Amino acid sequence: MRLWAAAAILCCVSCTNRPKAPELPQLALDAFLPAVRTEAAKALEAARANPADGAAAGKLGMILHAHQQYGAAEVCYRRAEALDPKRPAWPYYLSAVYAQEGNNLAALDAMGRALKLDPSYAPAQLRMAELLLEAGRLGESGERYRKLSSAEASYGAGRVHAAKGETAAAIESFEKACAQFPEYGAAHYALALALRKQGRDAEAQPHFTRYEEHKLTVPPSGDALLAEVKKLNVAATAYVREGADLEAQGKLAEAAQAHLKALEADPRMEQAHINLISLYGRLGEPEKAAQHYRAAVALNPSRAECYYNFGVLQFSLKRYDGAREAFAQALKINANYAEAHSNLGFLLETEGKVKDAVDHYRKAIDNQPGYRLAHFHLGRILVNQRQYAESIAHFEKTLTPEDDSTPRYRYALAVACVRSGNRARGVPMLRQARAEAISRGQSEIAGTIQKDLRTLGESVE
Amino acid sequence: MKRTALALLFALCCGCQRTTKAPPEAAEIFREAAAATGLDFRHNSGAGGEFHMTEIMGSGAALFDYDNDGDLDVYLIQGAGGGNKLFRNELIPAGRLRFADVTAQANVGHAGVGMGAATGDYDGDGFTDLYVTNFGGNVLYHNNGDGTFTGVTARAGVAVGRWSTSASFVDYDRDGDLDLFVLNYIDFTPANNKKCYAPSGERDYCTPKAYEPVASRLFRNDGGGRFTDVTVASKIGSSAGPGLGVVAADVNSDGWPDLFVANDSSANLLWINRKDGTFLEQALTLGAAYSEDGIAKAGMGVAAGDYDNDGRDDLLVLNLTREGATLFRSAGRSFEDVSLRTGIRPLTFAFTGFGAGWIDYDNDGWLDVFMANGAVTIVEALRGTPYPFHQKNLLLRNEAGGRFRDVSSAAGPTMQLSEVSRGAAFGDIDNDGDIDIVVTNNNGPARLMLNEAGSKQPWLTVKVKPGTRVGVERAGEKTLWRQARTDSSYLSANDPRVHFGLGKNPVIQGLTVEWLDGRRDRLPPPKANQSISVPSR
Repeated sequence: MRLWAAAAILCCVSCTNRPKAPELPQLALDAFLPAVRTEAAKALEAARANPADGAAAGKLGMILHAHQQYGAAEVCYRRAEALDPKRPAWPYYLSAVYAQEGNNLAALDAMGRALKLDPSYAPAQLRMAELLLEAGRLGESGERYRKLSSAEASYGAGRVHAAKGETAAAIESFEKACAQFPEYGAAHYALALALRKQGRDAEAQPHFTRYEEHKLTVPPSGDALLAEVKKLNVAATAYVREGADLEAQGKLAEAAQAHLKALEADPRMEQAHINLISLYGRLGEPEKAAQHYRAAVALNPSRAECYYNFGVLQFSLKRYDGAREAFAQALKINANYAEAHSNLGFLLETEGKVKDAVDHYRKAIDNQPGYRLAHFHLGRILVNQRQYAESIAHFEKTLTPEDDSTPRYRYALAVACVRSGNRARGVPMLRQARAEAISRGQSEIAGTIQKDLRTLGESVE
Repeated sequence: MKRTALALLFALCCGCQRTTKAPPEAAEIFREAAAATGLDFRHNSGAGGEFHMTEIMGSGAALFDYDNDGDLDVYLIQGAGGGNKLFRNELIPAGRLRFADVTAQANVGHAGVGMGAATGDYDGDGFTDLYVTNFGGNVLYHNNGDGTFTGVTARAGVAVGRWSTSASFVDYDRDGDLDLFVLNYIDFTPANNKKCYAPSGERDYCTPKAYEPVASRLFRNDGGGRFTDVTVASKIGSSAGPGLGVVAADVNSDGWPDLFVANDSSANLLWINRKDGTFLEQALTLGAAYSEDGIAKAGMGVAAGDYDNDGRDDLLVLNLTREGATLFRSAGRSFEDVSLRTGIRPLTFAFTGFGAGWIDYDNDGWLDVFMANGAVTIVEALRGTPYPFHQKNLLLRNEAGGRFRDVSSAAGPTMQLSEVSRGAAFGDIDNDGDIDIVVTNNNGPARLMLNEAGSKQPWLTVKVKPGTRVGVERAGEKTLWRQARTDSSYLSANDPRVHFGLGKNPVIQGLTVEWLDGRRDRLPPPKANQSISVPSR
């Protein structure tokens, strides 16, 4: 009898320790894009058909999570964890959505459960350290970061030191993070701030520059669990975003594929068509580009960007009349479109309509004061018109940020200085432009500058 | 002799009228009183299903004493389908807080796609003028001093035909008259409207990244009611961002006003005044461009104030949901992001903040935070409900300069409202010695939040020329420094008077006024619980 009672108590304790599985969330699926709706509806049906299956509820949570429906995803993950308490993925995902909801304490708690189930998952350890940092539990956070060896852990350790006011230790950690992953934008920024705090402004400057070059670049996460969630995003916007990332990496064919997937998910996605005009143009497939131009115009004839991209395509095909017409159309829709002004200016300049070209370059600069190419074009014309002071002012605005165009721009500035009679400024600048061109492997510009230096009677070494 | 002159300068004035009111319910910090006082205004966004970004961003409010009768009047900006409204505060002389719509007789009912307002006496005639920002054509109203205004935009040379947002009257060249700094946002037009989508795929408002940013404009006051556009000459035009919030503050303590601009999803800009009519943008190197993790957040409202009472103004920038607000603490030569350390980031993480204010709501001598919130893209939990963008506003109490605590839930029913708040204008509307708030709601009613808690503790209000800093010295306490300013927050203009909560130590031992030219006057200590006026030298 006593044994039975003890067993009953034990059973009760285990029942009360295990959280009750919440009901599946009510979803307003009608508001979702068809592609998302289909996936979510399938998963919902599966979860309803298998009410004891934690994985089914979790899968629905992952789909909702992928589309940033955090509240609904949270309910699914809680259900999944209650039904399937041995799988670390559920509390891990739950922690991620709690964090997105700003519920840091619940996120910490859930991550603790995930780590209990699988202490070896490094992304979870890293995330735990980050959550502790955000909760202000600096000691525990620092301890966890120190046990990890990745660039992100070094960066995190630096943040902990910085929050404690330990600037020297923070610098050491941030330097380590930068060394481990040299393109780590946030680490360079943090290092620059810490160095500046110590009054080491000159040392900070290159790190500010590195940050500007790699702002959002972070080390590859290696988070296989979250990658599973990301893969489930079938919204057109996700594919367009993915396409834009691929384009930024120079992977144009893959970028085009991502945009096509966006159109499969949502054929009304005019931005995908507009981006494909440019992508196919650069991939040397003008027919496909023109096809997407027509599709974009059919969806919305009032998108200046559509005509602009088509203008660039026409220009690349040397169809200058078509290009001029397209840029003019873009400007008709958006009179402040700096790039369209600049390109139209360039076309007019090649036709000898210099006054009109200057007008367009000026409008481009009015609308985008930091537009380097427009400053460069305007500066060129002004040099030829012997308006050196204004020309130099425009060339000076092309020098930052430093990139592959800098040698060409500095060369132009140097020439303007020399022609204006300021040889003392121009010649050293020519040398600097040449050195920059050589270091960037731009032998043609370097050769031209070399010739100019010789013409001026200057040595080239 | 000097003492006598200063005493003369230190003219105590009559702004100490107090209103009689029923004792508040326990724990009610703010009481909503718009309807009860006749502040009857409902914003119309003009939303017509095309998701024009202009619909979701406005509008603001201005608190200013246009008729110089000693109380704050309210100007509210309309988005569409009607004009802006001016409400005269009848507290003085009636003795009871009540508003009357005087728009028509004052001639300030501009009807456009309204955004915000800035206030300042640009011609030095003693009456506060009004600059109204719009999508597609701003308006400068000259205050005629007889209860009416005249539109003088073109004549004054301050026309801007883009999408302007916040603006600031600031004497950047220290020549004694107010210049005008106007933020522009992006190059959106209805004709180039783009289609953007929520993560789930449904149509939603775009982010500013879908458009190009447009540079701010700076107008130098040449006197005689005329301004010159010095955007290019001052270098202000050399860097563009989608600007939403602005505050003029002397961030490097060199005596010259600098300009901080909160940009939406782009690096903030900090224009350092070079004292020669030009500015140098230094937000990155001074640590105010990005949050500590190097992220350009969606800066909207901004507030400058000395939250840790160290004598330097710190900057609070409100951002999007899942970004958290950023608190840039002034460390002297630069700023440090202390959002995590102070609790500001976690407390604000779930909110999209617009109107921002450092207000000492409980008059304890420490600046607290009020944050007017409302999303710009669909709030997931509200999907399928009408206008699914509403959020609650936040009141964060400053726990003596170290951390902040969310006291919203105990602040009264008005703080429990969930609306699409945008502008917030701060000032002592009922002249009772604490800071009240006018909150504007997108597609909703304006709210008048009367502070019922602050005046239980001692206070001091000082009327000085905007831009002037005032320091209050008390035994055993750090000097409290506050700057008179009308700018900051979001699309709004605030009470120009400087307000001090004195907490448990109300005996003032000295009052220092730091004028725009850097000179300081130490004045005889005033008693607590009054409004005083210090005329300009």
